Amino acid sequence: MTSSANGSALIEIKDLHKGYGPNIQVLKGLNIEMMPGDRVVVIGPSGGGKSTLLRVVMGLEQIQGGEVRFGGKPYIRADGRKTIIDNDVRKQIGMVFQHYTLFPHLSIMENLILAPRKVHGESRASARERGAKILERFGLGNKADAYPSQLSGGQKQRVAIARALMLDPKLMLFDEVTSALDPELVAEVEQVILNLAGQGMPMMMVTHDMWFAKNVASRVIFCASGVVVEDGPPEQVLGNPREERTREFINRVFHIRA
Amino acid sequence: MDMTLDFSILGRFVDAFALGLWTTIKLTLLCIVLGTTLGFVVGLLRSGTNTVIRAVLGFYVELFRGTPVLIQLFWIFFCLPLILGVELSNFVSATIALTLYMGAITSETFRASLRSVGREQLDACVALGLPRRAQVMNVIMPQAVLRAAPTLLSNAISLFKESALVSAVGMADLMFIGQNISNNTARPVEVLTAVAAIYFVIAFPLTRVVTLLEQKLLRKFSA
Ligand SMILES: Nc1ncnc2c1ncn2[C@@H]1O[C@H](COP(=O)(O)OP(=O)(O)O)[C@@H](O)[C@H]1O
Ligand SMILES: [Mg+2]
Repeated sequence: MTSSANGSALIEIKDLHKGYGPNIQVLKGLNIEMMPGDRVVVIGPSGGGKSTLLRVVMGLEQIQGGEVRFGGKPYIRADGRKTIIDNDVRKQIGMVFQHYTLFPHLSIMENLILAPRKVHGESRASARERGAKILERFGLGNKADAYPSQLSGGQKQRVAIARALMLDPKLMLFDEVTSALDPELVAEVEQVILNLAGQGMPMMMVTHDMWFAKNVASRVIFCASGVVVEDGPPEQVLGNPREERTREFINRVFHIRA
Repeated sequence: MDMTLDFSILGRFVDAFALGLWTTIKLTLLCIVLGTTLGFVVGLLRSGTNTVIRAVLGFYVELFRGTPVLIQLFWIFFCLPLILGVELSNFVSATIALTLYMGAITSETFRASLRSVGREQLDACVALGLPRRAQVMNVIMPQAVLRAAPTLLSNAISLFKESALVSAVGMADLMFIGQNISNNTARPVEVLTAVAAIYFVIAFPLTRVVTLLEQKLLRKFSA
């Protein structure tokens, strides 16, 4: 497995503690080290804190203890009751959520170019040009002027991925991006992610799709009760888990599709 | 009692009705613009973090939502001049009263629509690294205003109808003129029916617009 921190890790999560209010402890001392080439799939029981983990890495949550480092530099850390988040680092991370989060009052093109213009001060013309290219690449070339409500769920999630990519992220986070979709729309979204993976985009994702996990992951992490139970290559964690809890979970959740 | 109806008598009063209607429309539009602006600011401030401002504005809103408009009108017409020591024309006091009323009502509309822009939209803003200003101006505000639009139009229609109350402080609006003509001609059925019809002909199509707008927005935001 990965060697101890030597500055080459893309993301280091150390002893992460995160709860919602005093009575709900979700992450209880979680450790993950992710290398630049890694495509990490996080699996685990529902309510186990997978979304919370990704939301923390995205800089959306306060944490109560531990730290997250990005590219060897401090990114997020708990400081007493405050959480200190480095905004410049956060801008290098993109995320797509389980539920649709396109801006419903903006056209697809406007959805794509808002952040590049407001975050990087890119000109409208230049952003539109890049946006048109990405839409073309995603098979959405004719949707630039459509509104999110006119798109299928699969198209919306592809636009959401395109919107994040407009900012040239160094890391992409996907939180069950296909679980709200009708079954026949899942493949088109997974294919986009697989293509990104093929181009070497580092990613961390949560999925319940065994086939997809096997195909996309370079590493699988099984999280339960707020800690990492098992962390290894997909053949190990999905195929021949070392930990009894992982084995139990895989048999229960994945055996149907495996 | 002679109950034969003769609507032709209305013909003599077309100019008077037109004048009254013009006053009603002027007053209503003015108070819609001023009141909605006030409501927007109050709605924003009440969604903010300053607890003193929130308490004061909360008191204002509940006061105007919890008392009859007629009392508000009378109070501003009769009591405010005594307290301030200045004369207020009935147009000015009616404008103040209806603006404050409209402000209270629409501030709640704006507050609800601000709340209805979900947490997910904010998450997406943060994930995209949007600066606070762009989050508010490009994402939250436009959606809040769009979502508020049907209810605001309903609020405006209500105000148009409530404005008939200003006749009670002697403003020569449509209601006031109708009452006068009704008294002078002793033809209440024809005259008051005509007045009701005028209000209806204006308000009803607008209520249909509200319904259409709601459906359209529902489709848009079902995304
Ligand atoms: N905003 C929140 N407020 C309170 N509790 C929350 C919140 N978000 C998640 N939780 C709780 O935290 C736990 C972990 O949730 P989550 O990270 O969504 O798990 P998973 O994605 O693995 O299903 C759950 O018990 C959930 O109810
Ligand atoms: Mg989840």
